[in-house]
Amino acid sequence: MTLQDMPIRRKLMTIILLISGVVSVLTCGAFFAYDFLTFRESLLAGFTLRGRMIAANSTAALAFENVDDATEVLSALAADPHVTAAGLYDRHGRLFARYPAGLADAALPPRPNGTGFHFDRSHLVVLTPVAQGDQPLGTLYLESDLQAINERFARYGLIVVLVMAVSFAVAYLLSRLLEKQVSQPIRALADTARAVAARRDYSVRAPRHGADELGLLTDAFNQMLEEIQALHADLERRVGERTAELAEANKELQRRRAELQSLFESLPGLYLILTPDHRIVTASDAYLQATLTRREDIIGRGLFEVFPDNPGDPAADGVRNLRASLERVAAQRASDTMAIQKYDVRRPDGTWEERFWSPVNSPLLDADQRLLYLIHRVEDVTEFVRRKARDAAGGENLRVRLEQMEAESFRNSQQVQAANRQLEAANAELEAFSYSVSHDLRAPLRHVQGYIQMLNREVQGQLGDKARRYLQTIGDAAREMGMLIDDLLAFSRMGRTELRETEVDLVRLAGEVRSALAESTTGREITWRFAALPRVRGDASMLRQALANLLGNAVKYSRNCAAAEIELGCDGEEDGRRVFFVRDNGAGFDMRYAHKLFGVFQRLHRADQFEGTGIGLAIVRRIVTRHGGRTWAEGQPGAGATFYFTLTPVPNDAP
Amino acid sequence: MKPRGILLVDDNPRDAEMTLDALQQYNLANEVTVLHDGAEALDYMFRRGEFVDRGLAEPAVILLDLKMPKVDGLEVLRQLKADPRLHVIPIVVMTSSREDQDLKACYKLGVNAYVVKPVSFHEFIEAVRALGAFWVVLNEAPPPGSHPPMAAP
Repeated sequence: MTLQDMPIRRKLMTIILLISGVVSVLTCGAFFAYDFLTFRESLLAGFTLRGRMIAANSTAALAFENVDDATEVLSALAADPHVTAAGLYDRHGRLFARYPAGLADAALPPRPNGTGFHFDRSHLVVLTPVAQGDQPLGTLYLESDLQAINERFARYGLIVVLVMAVSFAVAYLLSRLLEKQVSQPIRALADTARAVAARRDYSVRAPRHGADELGLLTDAFNQMLEEIQALHADLERRVGERTAELAEANKELQRRRAELQSLFESLPGLYLILTPDHRIVTASDAYLQATLTRREDIIGRGLFEVFPDNPGDPAADGVRNLRASLERVAAQRASDTMAIQKYDVRRPDGTWEERFWSPVNSPLLDADQRLLYLIHRVEDVTEFVRRKARDAAGGENLRVRLEQMEAESFRNSQQVQAANRQLEAANAELEAFSYSVSHDLRAPLRHVQGYIQMLNREVQGQLGDKARRYLQTIGDAAREMGMLIDDLLAFSRMGRTELRETEVDLVRLAGEVRSALAESTTGREITWRFAALPRVRGDASMLRQALANLLGNAVKYSRNCAAAEIELGCDGEEDGRRVFFVRDNGAGFDMRYAHKLFGVFQRLHRADQFEGTGIGLAIVRRIVTRHGGRTWAEGQPGAGATFYFTLTPVPNDAP
Repeated sequence: MKPRGILLVDDNPRDAEMTLDALQQYNLANEVTVLHDGAEALDYMFRRGEFVDRGLAEPAVILLDLKMPKVDGLEVLRQLKADPRLHVIPIVVMTSSREDQDLKACYKLGVNAYVVKPVSFHEFIEAVRALGAFWVVLNEAPPPGSHPPMAAP
């Protein structure tokens, strides 16, 4: 287990023990090192001093080469049990004396190597020079074992182990006491958090142990818990409310659903609701009644499984037709009305009943035009079909006659169409003829008139009266023919051109016509009387032409009157049209010929009495007739004439 | 090149003679070129066939009959008015009747004026005056005596 994953308690103890262990090891080590160095120094100093004393004592023996004295001096070393070997060398390096007396030569170096000291593995060796003043006499070799140091190390080691053991034990005990200060609040916090997490119990609180950071942490944690507890309670409360509301709404929905359901079921029509794959969702009571089924027996089942064709009727095609219609509805998203179907119904006892239906299938779409349901509505027309069949048997004669009449009316319409085509062709021909007349018939006339003018200019003053009169007559004749052509063209045009109906003011038109006639009325006394007239519906240019002809006639036929009177007025109604008239006090006419007046080229006066083409009134009649009205005339020779015409007034127009 | 003279296009020699006679009275006839059908008129205006070398001058005004063999007046009118150079020349159409259906077609094609046959000098002058071509035509032709051109007999 790594330090990270240890419980805090052990973590703290491990840290404390580790630190106290390291500290005591370091402290003991320092003491040990310092003591070791100090002891070695003092050992060396003592041994060096002893070497000097022995060397000083040995000068005489060396100077006098007295081996016994030298050995005597060396034997004083016996007081120090640690001295293991000693040798005195003369100034030539030869071993002069030794200690202990019986020491083998091999235990001492054959010659001294300079002076000073050195430690080897288990001994301290000191080489001290022996001299008398400046006179070197030899060298003293002293060798000591390190028993003293080793003993001291052994003692020291024991003390270190003891100190460490005691301090470890004390540290352990102390840490056990103190770690609780830190770990206990944390553990308590952790336990609380675990309790909250495990039991969702937000009412528990962590115990507070002090005012340090852990204390603050505990406080914050508890406060947080408190807030969570409040929020939680609020949430619980709201969830409760919402649940109650939902339950209420649900109940309401259920109620309305049931209401709708019963509403649908009690519809007087025969309704069946289907899923797009033709499963029955629901049906109206009327439908169930008509098809001898019960709701619980059919809901959820396939339409054609519930209502198969009558197996006893080999001609039955109800299933096929209905399926085709439903598929059309699904494909086109539009209602489909089916022809009357023979679709027999199975009685509960398994026998079949002949039935005729008039079905309409409609789609029910959602906002995205997806098909939700198919609505299948039918009407039971069995009775109707049976009655028709009975009637058909008795009404055979009637049927034959009807068919005959149909065939006849078809032939008639064919004939009318043919006649219309002929009429159109004739009209087109007439059009071409008129065009031709207006251009080709006029050209020679024009030339006659033109050349007469040119001739007149050419022969000016050279012709006699007779010749001049002939030329005059030729010119007049040509002019008359020109007028005839013009009038005929106008007459033809009045029959062909399209009526452009507007509201027309006849009095205004009459005023215009009077102005145009001014040239032919100069020097005559004419009293014009235009009454206030209602406005009429009509083609203004055609009606102007009609008035021009009527008023022109009035002017012409009254020219022998000293005081001519010409009147335009309105008198009564006929078939919803107003009756208008133009009256003059001129030559008049014999009523016996009244029926001829409005015919083409019909004249009641000789040309030398009153000039004219005999087309003017024919044009008037044609114009009025095209406006839906009629014309007639009244007159008396020498007492003037009245020409009547009827036109449709503009509704609600003051007369 | 300054425009000069009148181009008269009429297939009927009597009509042409009468028109010329009317213009003659005011000494305009010397300035008149007479052509007898639409094909000739187009050749003349576009300098084709026998008119390849007719010179640079264009007529000041064209008097055009509508009903002609080969190419009729409407077609001549259409081609001249569609030409970027010639469409500025005023064209007066001569018609037998004021109510001629062809007049509508003429105005659609951009005719400048019309006169009703027989063409009188007076009527012709009224038409060219309305076109603003009056002085172009008249300056070429000194009026007879000291009579102003409008003082028609």
